[in-house]
Amino acid sequence: MSVFLQLLFRSLETGSVFALASLGIVLIYRTSKTTNFAQGSIGTLNAFVAATLLMKWGWSIWAVVPAAMVTAIITGFIIDTVFIRPANKVGNIGKQIITLGLIIVIIGIIPWLFGVEPIPLPQFIPYSPTTTITILGATIGYNSFFTIGMSLLLMGAVFLFIQFTDWGLAIRVTASNEITSRLMGVPTKSVTMISWATAATFGTLAAIIVAPQTQVDINMMGSIQVSAFFACVLGGFQTFYGPVIGAYIIAFSSNMAAYYLPPTWSVWSTVIVYVLILVFLFFKPVGIIGKKLVRKV
Amino acid sequence: MKKVLSYFNKITIYIKDSFRRMVSAVKTDAMYRRFVYLFVGLNVILLLSELDIMNYSTVSLYAYIIIFTIVALGLNILLGFSGLMSLGTAGFVGFGAYGVVYFETLGFPYEISSLITIVIATFIGLAVGLFSLKVEGVYLAISTLAVGEIFSQIFKRVTWFTNAYGGVHYKYPTLLGFIELDRNMTYIFLSFVMVVMMVVMYHLTKSKTGRALLAMSRSNSSAQAMGVSISKYRLFSFVVAILYATIGGILYASFYRYVQPLDWNLMLTLLILAMVVVGGMKSIFGTFLGVFIIYGIPKLYLEDLFSSVSGVAYLFSGILIIVVVMFYPYGMIHVTHDIKKLYNKYKIHKQNKLKAGDGDE
Repeated sequence: MSVFLQLLFRSLETGSVFALASLGIVLIYRTSKTTNFAQGSIGTLNAFVAATLLMKWGWSIWAVVPAAMVTAIITGFIIDTVFIRPANKVGNIGKQIITLGLIIVIIGIIPWLFGVEPIPLPQFIPYSPTTTITILGATIGYNSFFTIGMSLLLMGAVFLFIQFTDWGLAIRVTASNEITSRLMGVPTKSVTMISWATAATFGTLAAIIVAPQTQVDINMMGSIQVSAFFACVLGGFQTFYGPVIGAYIIAFSSNMAAYYLPPTWSVWSTVIVYVLILVFLFFKPVGIIGKKLVRKV
Repeated sequence: MKKVLSYFNKITIYIKDSFRRMVSAVKTDAMYRRFVYLFVGLNVILLLSELDIMNYSTVSLYAYIIIFTIVALGLNILLGFSGLMSLGTAGFVGFGAYGVVYFETLGFPYEISSLITIVIATFIGLAVGLFSLKVEGVYLAISTLAVGEIFSQIFKRVTWFTNAYGGVHYKYPTLLGFIELDRNMTYIFLSFVMVVMMVVMYHLTKSKTGRALLAMSRSNSSAQAMGVSISKYRLFSFVVAILYATIGGILYASFYRYVQPLDWNLMLTLLILAMVVVGGMKSIFGTFLGVFIIYGIPKLYLEDLFSSVSGVAYLFSGILIIVVVMFYPYGMIHVTHDIKKLYNKYKIHKQNKLKAGDGDE
């Protein structure tokens, strides 16, 4: 039981990271109609901002994270106004290539601004015997509670925002049909700008949560980005909450597979999860909460 | 025996006939002439580097361009003609590279081990194609990404096949068991294979299959209404794309003689995708141009220009990609059209000026 609880909390923590990243991806997919491959890189860029402020300027972690959020919002605005909006004639695949170009630009900017060495970033609440709690024999750090709680709260706030405010309505109608909603007077430009800023914030938060496990470096978000994409297809791109569910499922199942399978199999836990996702998609091609796309001929 | 002989006769006649047709095609078809020019041009680079006019390393850079032109051509058939997206390309390139090395260590000659690799890849391609019959759009793209990720896990974990993080070493290929190629010969071999693959694609796109794919890319339903079998052509285009990727991988192992597991990631796949889009979908020479822009220009020029500050070369190549996609969303190959238009404008402007000058006198 204690092992299970420990696994559960670890899965919730990685699941939150995947969920934050995938929610950003699906927001941009619905409003800007492009798969954002740069989601992870944007997060990494702003995590570098946080780490530099903390390590070189000596700010506290509680000041650093809001600062990184602000730079994330600015990055989101810049990317939308400079790169994505002028390219509205480009077409679907072309926009994806533009996000690839963004990845390469960010890879170029990071060593220029922050140096080539990876920078360590500590946890919000450092792990020590005084900052842990023991439930049914499982030792769980306060930091896990904090990160899980914070990401759940944030995502909950975003869902409430989307569901119950005017701007949320604007986001939903833009997601369903951009041209019609522009004709009806919805400020779609601001909507895409807001969704890019939100997505960048989520990516940054995911990067900051995951950074203490290793260090802040350029390739930090690679595998998380891939898992976030799988979460999106597993949950379905049609709703905003589907990918979040998918993210927790993926984190949970890969952690369980890694622990409970015999050692010869457990190294293959990620592959097993991927194969299961593929099999699932074969039988339900639009994800768990997806509706069948109806296309006009 | 007689039957076998008659078959043999038929085959020789066929080969003679196709050879004659090829020669006449080179004489008459402008496309063929361009293929020959490209082949000669690529080998002039080899000559220049042998004469110490160009760097020694430039040749291996062009070899990379050649290899990834082949890979991108396959993706161009899939993306440009049938409108399907694959994000697993890098995995298949890696599979080709590892496969040929592995089967050669088992004692097969170069051609046979290449063939086995290609056959296995074809079967995987069929499986992916069958999968694509059910799954659409972005879901399909990310499913192929899952296939690519499974490949990259295999490259990292299956020690008997890939030697894990140590990577596998290889040698320059020996053709037909006795023609031992060295670096330069391998380069010529590479460029020859590339031109052959281009010719194959050229014929493919001009054939009934190519037209069916083209119809499919515009609208699945309309194509189906016209009697195009969607399932058949989807399978076909996936198999062709994966075939091209595998051949690219085999050539990669043959030229660079070292394969390591971390190269075959999402980034490489996206770069291959960028090569197709930047160069121009549905265009054979556009694909070559795209590979040159994405890989050649940064390596050849930007890195030398900005070698003082680390990362700036990346910055510029990223901006290059974005700018090209923004201004030439249908591919850089259409720049020739624009240049022609500009030239015509200039000519008309000059004529008008002359006329105006006449009026003054």
